[in-house]
Amino acid sequence: MLKYGFIAPALIILIALNIFPLFYNIILGFTNSELSTGGTECAGLRNYSIIFTEPKFAAALRTTALFVFAAVTAELALGFGLALALKDRFRGKMPLLTLLLIPMMLSQAVMGRYWYLILNGESGILNNLLGMAGLHQPQWLNDPGLKLVSVLIIDVWMWTPFMMLIALAGLNSIPQYIYEAAEIDRAGTWTVFRRITLPMCAPLLVLAVLLRTTDALKQFDLVLATTGPNDAATQTLSALLYQTVFKDSRVGLGCAYACIILVIVIALASVFTRYIDFIQSKQGKTNAAR
Amino acid sequence: MKTRMIGIVAACALLPFAAGCGSGGDKPKQTVTIWWAQWAPADGLQELGQEFEAETGIAVKVHQIPWSSYQDQVFLDFGSKKTSFDVVVGDSQWIGRGATNGFYLELTDWLPTAVDMSTVHPRAARYLCEYPSGSGRFFAAPCETDAIGFAYRKDWFEDAKEKEAFRLKYGRELVPPETWDDFLEVAEFFARPREKRYGCAILTGRAYDSLVMGYQQIMWSFGGSWGDQTTYAVNGHANSDAAVEALWFVKKLLKFSPKNGADLDYGQTLEAFINGSTAMSMNYFAFFPDIVSNIGDKAGFFIMPRQGDRRVVSLGGQGFSISAKTSPEQQELAKKFIAWFLQEKVQRKWITKPAGFTANTAILGSEEFRKANPYNAAFAESLDSLQDFWNVPAYNELLAAAQKYVGEALDNVKTPKDALDALAAEHEKIFRDAKLLKQ
Repeated sequence: MLKYGFIAPALIILIALNIFPLFYNIILGFTNSELSTGGTECAGLRNYSIIFTEPKFAAALRTTALFVFAAVTAELALGFGLALALKDRFRGKMPLLTLLLIPMMLSQAVMGRYWYLILNGESGILNNLLGMAGLHQPQWLNDPGLKLVSVLIIDVWMWTPFMMLIALAGLNSIPQYIYEAAEIDRAGTWTVFRRITLPMCAPLLVLAVLLRTTDALKQFDLVLATTGPNDAATQTLSALLYQTVFKDSRVGLGCAYACIILVIVIALASVFTRYIDFIQSKQGKTNAAR
Repeated sequence: MKTRMIGIVAACALLPFAAGCGSGGDKPKQTVTIWWAQWAPADGLQELGQEFEAETGIAVKVHQIPWSSYQDQVFLDFGSKKTSFDVVVGDSQWIGRGATNGFYLELTDWLPTAVDMSTVHPRAARYLCEYPSGSGRFFAAPCETDAIGFAYRKDWFEDAKEKEAFRLKYGRELVPPETWDDFLEVAEFFARPREKRYGCAILTGRAYDSLVMGYQQIMWSFGGSWGDQTTYAVNGHANSDAAVEALWFVKKLLKFSPKNGADLDYGQTLEAFINGSTAMSMNYFAFFPDIVSNIGDKAGFFIMPRQGDRRVVSLGGQGFSISAKTSPEQQELAKKFIAWFLQEKVQRKWITKPAGFTANTAILGSEEFRKANPYNAAFAESLDSLQDFWNVPAYNELLAAAQKYVGEALDNVKTPKDALDALAAEHEKIFRDAKLLKQ
């Protein structure tokens, strides 16, 4: 009995804060619930029919997919590159690492506002610097073709250090003797990278990609801080969800949106976790063969 | 020892009651809680509240919420069984939602007993207090009456060299523009991007409603409309030729605006003017005290230009609405305060507060008011031309759609015609879903 007593508080908190809201959200998705009236009538599948017929959901889905793909790819490439550059010991490594990690420790909402000032087309620091250098001054937050790029720049600036950190952990976990053996076998740099470094880092890199993907799928703070939730060029799924629930007050419809976002996140997470399992089992077989 | 411990515990437990007994003779202080956005008029209201307390003993607490989250917080609070406020100074567009959902107490019988309605400017009464507009059913009392106007650089307009250059180029005097065509010429004249000087800064921000508030008055002046006020038909109105022409005109104005001119909210148009880069800046009159305090008499003010004989000004401001979800006793206290505030002698004090604008016609028409501030004359003149966006319960969805599609036209994502066609289709869908569209 005592053992149940120990797990009960955690279980109650989990049910109250996670399980109950999840099921309540699913139920509300089938109603026409409004933010402040409290009245709730069954709406059947109407909310889902709205979502799949209104072009704004498809547009938000496209924007989110583009954002996730571009942000995670850029962060992975830059983060892994930085990790490779910082893998070896050198003087001043720790202060440099600390400096590089600062962006990911800051609040996204606050950084979004700072970047809003930096990217301001008229009085922003960036455009003033470009102007002083005699270069073209793009309207980062006004030009519809650049709005999403601007949000991407901020996201990459904030989260590349996260990728770097995990990649660095992966690189440091590769035993030195494997590299020494490769050197004895006169393996070239590219071969060492392709056959040793990348495969042995892969599980951690995929985990980092999984974490960043699920996080980028929820992108909201930077969008809200820079262009607002109602801008067609940057309206991600979370921004559309916020606009629907808090601005349009359509809680039922918003909950249906949330359910769909949840399904997308779960589907992606499943793909990634299966891939991690696949890589690990492959590595296990290789090690056993050795 | 044990007895002593029990004694100490019992004494501690009874302490709150003992403290209560000490002040048992005093009644708890009566307080009216008002929620409003965080800005200068709310400070002025708080100051008047202190005078009310001195007269009646009823305290007034004005709780200020940042504009960005004001609407969200108010309607979230209306979701509770009892609101945290007794009075909300709500935006004019909220009134339909507040009235039809039972959030706002109906004031139809009470308001005319508190104030002589013939002294309230009819446009303020129509848009700030009534729902449906013109029905005679009141859900709010006038608090802050506001309108959009223009600030201009009087020193630039009065500069002899500029006047001469303007006369040579356009064959007429350089004066504050009377029509939108005049406005375009003046904006073009002052636009000198190489010198970081721009012709105009108009409201185009995407975050809440500034783009719609800026665009709609040009659209109305050009002969367009948001839709039929009785049938709620939108197609052929919001996307009429006149509306399309108005949107093209707005795009023309952007050529003479600061580089980020396609996305300027209230704060940014104000900043564009105060930083000395812009000749004419559009904004609500409530923001103009900041201009006077920053650049003094270098600034002048003028009413929204007309097109032909049509002059329309976007209404701003808010009315006092009493929460239907507060106790009857609190509602009575709220009524006492509102009735006190609407007295002419208090309204005369209200207009001395920063950006305190009245709807009282006697005060608006007085020389005293017109001369009190450099922008007051233009403000008083603007009230006869006031018009508002939809104020039906689904106003926010309508607003978001309008912001989005008009914004796409400014960003060259869609042509004005395509953007307004898409807007008309979405607005009709919203009205159909809200069961308002009559066809």
